[in-house]
Amino acid sequence: MNTLRKIGNDSEALGKLFVLPTIILLIFIVVFPFFMQVYLSITYWTPLDGIPWYQAYEVVAWHDQYLYILEDDRVWGALWRTMLIVFFAVPIQFLLGMGLAYLFIDKFPGRKIFYSIMLTPMMVVPAVVGLMFYLLFQGTGPVNDHIGLPSDFSWLTDVNRAMITIIVADVWQWTPLMFLILLSGMLGVPNDQILAAKILGGSDLQNFFKIILPRMKGVIVIAIVLRVVECFKIFDLNFIMTKGGPGVETETISVFLYKLTFGEFEWSYVAAIGLTVLIVLSIIAAKGLAYFAKQES
Amino acid sequence: MAFKPYPEWTTVSGLTWFPQNPTLQNFEFLLYGEAEGLVVSLDKTVGGALVSSLVTATLGTLIAVVCGTLASYGVVRFKKAESLPLSVLQLRLFPPLAVMIPVMVMWSFLEAVDTWWGLSLIYGIVTLPFAFWLMKTFFEEVPIEIEEAAFVCGCSYWRVFYKITLPIVKPGIATSTLFVFILNWSDYLLALLLTQKEWITLPVYMATLTSAMGGQMYGMKAALGLIAAIPPIIFGLMIQKHLVRGLTFGALKQ
Repeated sequence: MNTLRKIGNDSEALGKLFVLPTIILLIFIVVFPFFMQVYLSITYWTPLDGIPWYQAYEVVAWHDQYLYILEDDRVWGALWRTMLIVFFAVPIQFLLGMGLAYLFIDKFPGRKIFYSIMLTPMMVVPAVVGLMFYLLFQGTGPVNDHIGLPSDFSWLTDVNRAMITIIVADVWQWTPLMFLILLSGMLGVPNDQILAAKILGGSDLQNFFKIILPRMKGVIVIAIVLRVVECFKIFDLNFIMTKGGPGVETETISVFLYKLTFGEFEWSYVAAIGLTVLIVLSIIAAKGLAYFAKQES
Repeated sequence: MAFKPYPEWTTVSGLTWFPQNPTLQNFEFLLYGEAEGLVVSLDKTVGGALVSSLVTATLGTLIAVVCGTLASYGVVRFKKAESLPLSVLQLRLFPPLAVMIPVMVMWSFLEAVDTWWGLSLIYGIVTLPFAFWLMKTFFEEVPIEIEEAAFVCGCSYWRVFYKITLPIVKPGIATSTLFVFILNWSDYLLALLLTQKEWITLPVYMATLTSAMGGQMYGMKAALGLIAAIPPIIFGLMIQKHLVRGLTFGALKQ
């Protein structure tokens, strides 16, 4: 770096040139839209009004949209269901992923092939996964047929069962991710420590909880944070399998916002909800980052 | 299921794991809009959606990888824009729908809705964080001594980057490209929001198929799902070694 600095001032200019395209894109997609979102969220504007968005001040609402969020059961219901999916799906994925990763630590014949097969679900387009599970869980579909349920036993139109189906689909698709991350963490644990513990008479179980697990703390945190963030955004699976139905009973935040956008065209209300979600998540993210910085120092 | 002929789709004739009379009828139907023995026909075949998916995913990948590579090099070597990594990461944190309203207003203002460049642009932007963080880890692995040696020999900055650093991180670029392509190809939501007719992508097309055709054409849907699922699986297996790095934004290496 020092040599680079010495050579001349043109490195300054060139460095700026390198980051420029990204910064332009960021300003384009973050700064403008943010102000636009704030602006629209304090109006009653919808695209059906027939006035362009920049004249939305004609129907200004100030804080009305935000007050309405507090009373809107659909928002809270969607939030609650999103949490529910995260709360069930992520721990299941974690436990399954952990178990599978532990199996893959030792070499066994065909390990490579199984490894590749294990990773496949993750790479299937989420919309296709949604479709697949939609087909599997039809009344006349294979699942009912194989466990011997009558064809009028419906998975996707009953509230509780539909939620279970969504969670199952999410687990199917994303357990491989957990497995992949946890395995790479587990392989990073130094082998000699495990061997030493074994010689001193530690059982496999003790080894796992006392040596492997504490060493994987960082990896585990990364895996879980990633999945929670992604799972919170769940849209494709849910939308293709149930469209949030029956009624609004399986709507998650994303599906709810989508339906509000294209079903009811309440764009300014969506902007208000979006902004609220944005602010809450930003606070959580800032807190999380601060926590990480503290841990590292 | 994709290879099953029409009567074998439902329990009526008894479900089996494997098709009793394998057929390519379903694929044929998707390609030409009609097939032998089927009364229904398709007014929009899979070809358009396939092209649209390919074009937008490729262009989006190009934008993300080019900008991401340049920016991460700028950050790693020139220590410019130190806050950039985090602000880029934030792009991935929020549910896209929470921030899509202004983007949609902007896009319709720019008349970019339902065009190839509008969709490519947004793809490029949303996958930029992945390309950026992935390339960052690859650049960090390049020993600075090599570059310094080139400077001493009188290379200009641009030439060092172009002739020395880029070839070293070539595998990294290949990985990022395939990885970002998978992400773009997999997208459903953005295409759903920003296209209407001309440029709908495969996943959207798949979902609209139900309403476009009479009844539930399970066989066609399964065939379509298969078409959409194959490229990412192949690419994914190709970059298996680096998947962990990509998916954790370079926080973990394998």
